[in-house]
Amino acid sequence: MNIAVLIKQVPVSNKVSVDPETHALIRASVEGMINPSDRNAIEAALALRDQQGGKVVVFTMGPPQAESSLREAMAIGCDEACLITDRAFGRADTLATARVLAKAVEYYGDIDLIVCGALSSDGATGQVGPMVAEVMDIPHVSEMRAIVSASEERRQIEVLKDLEYQTYTLQVNLPVLLTFQFGCNEPRLATLRSTRAAKKKPLLTVTNEEIKMPSTLIGAEGSPSRVIDSWEPQDGRKAEMLSGSESELTQQLKELLAKGEEV
Amino acid sequence: MRQGICIYVEAHNGVISATFAELLTAARELQKITGEEISALVIDNNTADLCKEVESFGVDRTLVYDLPEGHTLQDDAIAKVVSDILEETQPSSVLVPASPEGRSIFSRVAMRLNCGLTADCTELLVGEREDGTYYIKHNKPSFGDNVYVTIVIRDEFFPQILTVRQAIYSPAEPQTLVTKQEDFTNKFSFPDSGIKVLNQEAKAAVTDSISSAEKVVVVGKGMESPDSLALVQAFADKIGAAVACTRPLSDVGLMPFERQIGQTGCTIRPKLCVSVGVSGAIQHTEGIKDVETYIAINTDPHAAIFREADYGIVADANVILKEFLEQA
Repeated sequence: MNIAVLIKQVPVSNKVSVDPETHALIRASVEGMINPSDRNAIEAALALRDQQGGKVVVFTMGPPQAESSLREAMAIGCDEACLITDRAFGRADTLATARVLAKAVEYYGDIDLIVCGALSSDGATGQVGPMVAEVMDIPHVSEMRAIVSASEERRQIEVLKDLEYQTYTLQVNLPVLLTFQFGCNEPRLATLRSTRAAKKKPLLTVTNEEIKMPSTLIGAEGSPSRVIDSWEPQDGRKAEMLSGSESELTQQLKELLAKGEEV
Repeated sequence: MRQGICIYVEAHNGVISATFAELLTAARELQKITGEEISALVIDNNTADLCKEVESFGVDRTLVYDLPEGHTLQDDAIAKVVSDILEETQPSSVLVPASPEGRSIFSRVAMRLNCGLTADCTELLVGEREDGTYYIKHNKPSFGDNVYVTIVIRDEFFPQILTVRQAIYSPAEPQTLVTKQEDFTNKFSFPDSGIKVLNQEAKAAVTDSISSAEKVVVVGKGMESPDSLALVQAFADKIGAAVACTRPLSDVGLMPFERQIGQTGCTIRPKLCVSVGVSGAIQHTEGIKDVETYIAINTDPHAAIFREADYGIVADANVILKEFLEQA
């Protein structure tokens, strides 16, 4: 079974502030890392490959520096990588991003299963996965927990998905796109040796030369959404603050708990 | 011209979600300015009962599609039906709960219709174009709760679809309205789906004990040392509460994932919640709803948790909890 993993390079820190004049975002750090729930998707893909054979190809769309996250994914165990990078893809919202990812996976070819993290730690929209599935006209299961079993012959996969009070076992036809909840499994780690070996693993760079997307579907032009303003939240404190010495505070806590008991 | 505010109604096991009444408040606020009609889209098994409940709140129209039994998780097929109904009814905006179901279905719908989808709005405002038509300004947090942004959908893309965070708008009061009902069940045949439900069971007990606990103590990164965790457990035992945690603690295995509260974990609705050493990032606090008494203890007077809690104590929770146990 050949598996595509779609990952996103996210900022290490979510600490951002807003320039009061230009309203541009000022990031505290420019360092990038693999989005946390994408690591769970990578783990699920590697576990399935180890069991059934095939290969795991990791994809990301971003600036050339995003290669570092692809190399890291290959150090963790992915077999091949595809860096989707072109200025024409930049400033894209989730729709324009998903179209390019879907096209790149199709261009790469020979993929049975696509996996990614459920939500990113920066934007956290959870939209890109299901959108990629819609572009490719394949089913998806989002925010799921685990793959139970998969059969390449029957072209089917069984998965577990948790909703608030219920756990569902779903049977889905391949090819399918699955998005994994953060923390659903324990991602394996890279070693010094695997990190070195990852430098020699194949990495394909895809630009719009290869996938030939019209400008109306990609980048800013292909994005229905526009950010028109940004600001830092006010310190809108709602809580009634208690004051006093530590033993007075403890006493007040006790009273509050007793009062809560009566209600 | 496109006209109308459409609300997507989420229901579980025959009961409409509390998000409907909240979205109705948001829709009525938009309606005050735009004067548009409000419709509710009900796609489920047994829509007759659900519609009765929805109509009792007062909406201008219900758009109904009766799902065949066993098809409620077929988001690929449901997204097609939703898209067909929206194409037919041409609303200017669609309000969706920011939930796993909302994200899953409407990501596909937005792609099918090539329209905008804004996630997790916390405030909707109306803007007016030069030609006198209206658009919605979507305000939402980004990068955790470190910054807020305003998003608009470019003029040529319709409808404007947006998901709205839970517990931001207060529930709407019922109004008496004559509701027109439009049934699309026979108009659009249900498409094939690649998804089949094999089994369904209640979730494991440990999550239930957190979800159903009336009292919860939430521990955050400020209290992650072994001594602090032991103190928190003793305190929770003393007051008869379950212990839950924020993501950084379950991340490193200090607490089981099933005890994690927030966007990537469980949602709790306890009567009493005491949070200790929790900074209060929105990804965590959105997992805590309808608390009657919410007390937060944190050393940082500017911690975001004091925007959520009813009572705030700026102190070292280690000292307060120790003293509490000694006095008790």
